[in-house]
Amino acid sequence: MINIDHIDRAEAMRYLSCRDESNSGVVAEYLDQCERLVLEALNPKYTYKYFPLDFCGEKPVLTDCPLSLEGKDIAAHLAGCRGVIILAATDGAGVDALIRQLQVENMAAAVIADALAGAAVEEILNKAEVEIKERYGNMYFTERYSPGYGDLPLNIQKTILNILDAQKRIGLCVGSGGLLTPIKSVTAFIGVSKNPLRKERCRCDSCNMRETCRYRKEGKSCGL
Amino acid sequence: MDFKSLLQEDGFILLDGGMGTMLQANGLVPGDIPEIMNVTHPELIESIHKSYLDAGSMVVYTNTFGANRSKLEGSGHTVSELIGAGAAIARKAVSSASHKAYTALDLGPVGQLLEPTGSLSFEEAYNIFKEQIIAGADTDLIVIETMSDLYETKAALLAAKENSDKPVICTMTFEESGRTFTGCSVSAMAMTLEGLGADAVGVNCSLGPDGLYDILDELASSVSIPIAAKPNAGLPNPETGAYNTTPEEFARQTARLSEIGVKIFGGCCGTSPEFIRLLAKELEGLRPIKREVRKHSAVCTPAKTVVIDQPRIIGERINPTGKKCFKEALMNNDIDYILGQAIEQVRAGADILDVNVGLPDIDEKEMMVRTVKAIQGVTDLPLQIDSTIPEVLEAALRVYNGKPIVNSVNGEEKSLSVILPIVKKYGAAVVGLTLDENGIPKTADERFAIAQRILDRAMKIGIPKEDVFIDCLTLTASAEQDAVMETVKAVHRVKNELGLRTVLGVSNISFGLPNRELVNCNFLQMCLTNGLDLPIINPNAALMTGAVRAYKLLTGIDRNSMDYIRAYKDVSFSSSATPKDSSQSDGSKSGETMNLSYAIENGLKGEAGKITAELLKTTDPMDIVNEMLIPALDKAGDDFEAGRIFLPQLILSAGAAQSAFEAIKNNMSGDKTVSKGKVVLATVKNDIHDIGKNIVKVLLENYGFEVIDLGRDVEHQAVVDAAIEHDVRLVGLSALMTTTLKDMEATVKLLHENNVNCKIVVGGAVLTPEYAEKIGADFYAKDAKETVDIARRVYGVT
Repeated sequence: MINIDHIDRAEAMRYLSCRDESNSGVVAEYLDQCERLVLEALNPKYTYKYFPLDFCGEKPVLTDCPLSLEGKDIAAHLAGCRGVIILAATDGAGVDALIRQLQVENMAAAVIADALAGAAVEEILNKAEVEIKERYGNMYFTERYSPGYGDLPLNIQKTILNILDAQKRIGLCVGSGGLLTPIKSVTAFIGVSKNPLRKERCRCDSCNMRETCRYRKEGKSCGL
Repeated sequence: MDFKSLLQEDGFILLDGGMGTMLQANGLVPGDIPEIMNVTHPELIESIHKSYLDAGSMVVYTNTFGANRSKLEGSGHTVSELIGAGAAIARKAVSSASHKAYTALDLGPVGQLLEPTGSLSFEEAYNIFKEQIIAGADTDLIVIETMSDLYETKAALLAAKENSDKPVICTMTFEESGRTFTGCSVSAMAMTLEGLGADAVGVNCSLGPDGLYDILDELASSVSIPIAAKPNAGLPNPETGAYNTTPEEFARQTARLSEIGVKIFGGCCGTSPEFIRLLAKELEGLRPIKREVRKHSAVCTPAKTVVIDQPRIIGERINPTGKKCFKEALMNNDIDYILGQAIEQVRAGADILDVNVGLPDIDEKEMMVRTVKAIQGVTDLPLQIDSTIPEVLEAALRVYNGKPIVNSVNGEEKSLSVILPIVKKYGAAVVGLTLDENGIPKTADERFAIAQRILDRAMKIGIPKEDVFIDCLTLTASAEQDAVMETVKAVHRVKNELGLRTVLGVSNISFGLPNRELVNCNFLQMCLTNGLDLPIINPNAALMTGAVRAYKLLTGIDRNSMDYIRAYKDVSFSSSATPKDSSQSDGSKSGETMNLSYAIENGLKGEAGKITAELLKTTDPMDIVNEMLIPALDKAGDDFEAGRIFLPQLILSAGAAQSAFEAIKNNMSGDKTVSKGKVVLATVKNDIHDIGKNIVKVLLENYGFEVIDLGRDVEHQAVVDAAIEHDVRLVGLSALMTTTLKDMEATVKLLHENNVNCKIVVGGAVLTPEYAEKIGADFYAKDAKETVDIARRVYGVT
């Protein structure tokens, strides 16, 4: 059982494009109630598998795994690694139901719950990472990298979930459009290395949103 | 002996163990499609079947768990090819076995989540299973296994029952919490699947045998059909995938499940023939026990079971009779209005919601199906399907997720002969009205006699007594005063002499009288005291809901007054715009007169409506709109753009403005309108992330636009059709993911190809102005506020 008892509100506020000063008044009250509702509806789950990694030229190749990792960004991310953890996490279907319900009842609450639910998946991923790092002590890890980042395509979700047997293990599926359901779910790769990894380059360089990003315009980063 | 007869015999039935486990041990790579081995390695599959048969299995599952249209897409193989091959291999293995054995067509989940969480419709899921069932005709029984969604299980079971005459075993997979991943409880699974005619139910996969003990124990006390258990070999190691229970432990623990009444045994992930061989040995010398099955009246959705062991409130508000706004909503396909009515009743304390969408000029069947699905997407309260048309009832029963109530059958022969078989087929409960060809009898005795007749007929076709609820019918006290006590007496007799649950529409009693609620409330109390279980009332009427709560408190049903106290401490979003009472949060304004712009700025919904109603006495409606409402909204919009307020606050302000608009709308005569124009909105095909589109919708409506909301995952053509049908000047499309942008592009293209005379605005997280231009959209909107600005520009309104 994974226990999530709080959600990073600052993260949720960031999803809402809210700066800290708005964390007051009516929004703060909503945050309290919505956090409680999201935590109640949450059925946090994660699952992961480790695969040894080789490089065929620049291209990373997973051993005993039908997944092909296309694109230069994931190759750069995994450079120097000898293994990959494929990880999936979900808030569960109850959170989707809560957000649907709130959209009928009170859209402002729905928007806040939606942001909190997004932040909650990050909490679950963090818990998973703690477990992974304990299990693979003495190793070095990259940050999480997800389909949709850079040029890593989203259409590998179906294969990822098949590899993880994710429907059976955590109730996570892919819809006909290649989107994860329940909606508040994430898949990610974590590179594993025996040796220290050099500091990662700025994620913004490969981000699809680099031209329109509000944070980048302000000289900041979204932190992903 | 066929398998159905075997189920009736007094022995255990031994299934096989894991197939995937065996295949992986033989070189199957995770992520590959195991069913393809039916054609590439048939001898391997056959040898696995044979080793299970040698271990003592009486049933082998075909290697067809994931052989469905959805999972095989792009594999180069067809459903009929792989299932046909799988069935033939199993048949061959069984025919050479040393003991009588059976082949089971194995059906696992489709692999996509069904609506409302996913986008796969119930009907599509049904067709996917139907194709598999037809392809697997040469098997002896059907197993539906590893299900976590009750809705999907229902689609599969219905497909099995309607396209074959084989016995069906349904097993679902549960977490330690006693729920499935989708939140389905054991009780909901039990009553729904038994009602739909499953021949056996049980649990597979999930956990090890010990972990399933309590779940199976609850199941065993809830159904009278045989129970199956096919546990995993304990829990897997996340690193290696190896399971942690030895064959000996597994066999011992699994055999122990016989003491709670499990009759059918096998193994799932991590088990091998050795597990089954030892299990067979453990079961030797044991006999299935006779189970005590709890008989009670109950209805459910996957997440909520309502046991009718005490008064339960049926909310009556989803019904157009005598409600102008509701009728209008039905005519305009405004499902959100109906959902609002549903949630309001949930918050007010309803236990079950009656759903009636009957109106002469609409397609009631289509509307009913849509409404039932939509309501089940936002609340887990069970529903009472209310229609006079059998086809409407049947269509609703098909798509309902769980066990509902049918409202209603009556003592007329043609009603009994048409309605009861439908109720039986779908395993519903039914309301029986005590009237017949001769109308409503005057006396309690005559109504009792009809109740008796309805019960006899229901039981004759196999509807259990517990599922028949009798409505002794309320007549209007002002017109037929003497009939009041006849109704009360009839309730008493039906409850006490027939032992049936009773249901009654209460509000009708006071029709034509002043101070109706007083009469309703007293009549309700009289009926509750005389045995009424299911009052149909308006739960939003605090006095009525309170009367039921007080009754439960006073009769000791509500132990320690827990529910009563909780009910009156609750705070909900719907009670006011802000979670806390608004008077607390705007201390600065207390004592002063609040004006409309203040109310809008601070998102005070209730106040905005009240102030507007007050203003309407002295001010022209259009002046209120143009001089107060729009400027206040504009200010909120400007503040949002400048980063002074943020999305939730903007939505709250807009919500307050809408309640002002509504006050104005109610005040205006029929032909006048405050509508600024119609806009079609859709989240494009294949995309199910629709919250952004819904925010746009709310804002547009708040600004006075009429929105035709096509929902999410919308076919390209449907957008074109709606734009033409409603003759709109603006269509808004949203897409969240890079993968669905192509559908946005295709929709835009189709609008252009059809020369639809409208502008197109697009938005969504990954969209850019450049991309919007490239695909031929007229506008890119970076957020909901900008969409409103664009709509105002397109319609030339301020």
